[in-house]
Amino acid sequence: MAQQARVVTSAEAEANVVPVPPGTDLVEWYFQQGWTDGLPVVPPTRAMVDAVVEALGGGPHFVECKVPPRYGSLSREVLAINMVMAGCKPEYAPIVRAAMLALTTDAFNLNGVQATTHMAAPLLIVNGPIAREIGMNGDCNAFGSGNRANATIGRALRLVLLNVGGGWPGELDKSTLGHPGKYTYCVAENEAGSPWAPYHVEKGFSPKDSTVFVLAAEPPHSVTNHVANDPEGILDSIVSAMSTIANNNAVSSGHCAVIIGPEHARTIAGKGWTRHDVRSYLAMHAYNLFSEITFNERYGKIYNRNLPKWYKREPGSRIPIVPSPDHIHLFVIGGAAGRFSAFIPGWGHMSSPVLRSIDTVDESGARRAPICVDGTCYL
Amino acid sequence: MTGQNDLIAFDPRGVVETEPRALALRARSLDGLRLGVLDNTKWNANRLLRKTVAKLQQEYSFAAVSYYRKESFSQDADPALIETIAADNDIVLTAIGD
Repeated sequence: MAQQARVVTSAEAEANVVPVPPGTDLVEWYFQQGWTDGLPVVPPTRAMVDAVVEALGGGPHFVECKVPPRYGSLSREVLAINMVMAGCKPEYAPIVRAAMLALTTDAFNLNGVQATTHMAAPLLIVNGPIAREIGMNGDCNAFGSGNRANATIGRALRLVLLNVGGGWPGELDKSTLGHPGKYTYCVAENEAGSPWAPYHVEKGFSPKDSTVFVLAAEPPHSVTNHVANDPEGILDSIVSAMSTIANNNAVSSGHCAVIIGPEHARTIAGKGWTRHDVRSYLAMHAYNLFSEITFNERYGKIYNRNLPKWYKREPGSRIPIVPSPDHIHLFVIGGAAGRFSAFIPGWGHMSSPVLRSIDTVDESGARRAPICVDGTCYL
Repeated sequence: MTGQNDLIAFDPRGVVETEPRALALRARSLDGLRLGVLDNTKWNANRLLRKTVAKLQQEYSFAAVSYYRKESFSQDADPALIETIAADNDIVLTAIGD
């Protein structure tokens, strides 16, 4: 890629600026430094970085957070550098910042999420006006390719987790397998296509608020049901996807996400079922027997301290996939056609998902500042 | 310093602010020391640690062996637990046991 040579000023001779010889292929140079996710990055220029810093409110050296396990300082300039490298537009900045603040909340335990042998990757789901304003996709192929905002916001998070957090595979990231969401794992809820109020409104936010939701998550598992014309039939298929002994919720409890496709959602809501009804049904009927998750004691007696103390540990006891309906985070996402939904297992009780409002300005010019304790809603 | 014709690139890593801390003195012999054993509660950690302690005891004579357990394998140990282990032991054995 051709790069534009320019004279640097003394003010740029600072910690984050590296002089390189004229004619350097910067795309290859970033690969050589080990600062990419395996894909080519956009080589940042001073103007591009400054535009993102300005979108963050200026103050390039203001440290937003520290990112484990390396605990690098995420200054606004460093955040901007990673965003530009990922291909973000400056207007994505409030989302990326809010997501990083959510991820570095103690309850999320990013240190563990980054280092675990499990394949979990932070999933980011955006709600509210900002998702529409920047053109995020919660519609056809939402979890797939093709949308700049989804792709580059998720990628910016990953670059920060790698470069600032030090989550390099085999070094501080010990994941046995990883999963494709470790390149980018970011979607919006399809609020327009949903028969219910958006996720963040269910949690007490105003529809005018924009929010980020982060969950340490396995990849989505498709749920197909082209037959059922009632809530129970559709939800029993989701229950089936949830009730395996192999996903991490089965053995480590904690939170998960359930994605209802718009066609399924319309069928379920058409029978008068609310979001709470759906979550309650799934929480009640998704389970394994204790004898199943302990392999019928084939390898000795197992107690499993990762499950809640109050679970009865007898061979015929039902072991729920989640301890309560509130551990299921329900979103309507996807295209208008197709009777599909998805189950997204979480990492387990070791991490709490975080919902955080995004600091934005509404149509009247009023600032919608983060709400809840310190802007973070612990779930 | 950058030269007049240099390109600039940006380092995306951010600064790590650390305070250097010296390692504890290494034990020259294990005999007569108090051994602390920290189980991180991974699936096989306890089994691995107990077998390791048994092997060590064939070779060394410890003044005491004390077992401790983290609340969760994926979260930091309670600082009070770390203080107790440091105060009551001379050496510590721990393992992942995945």
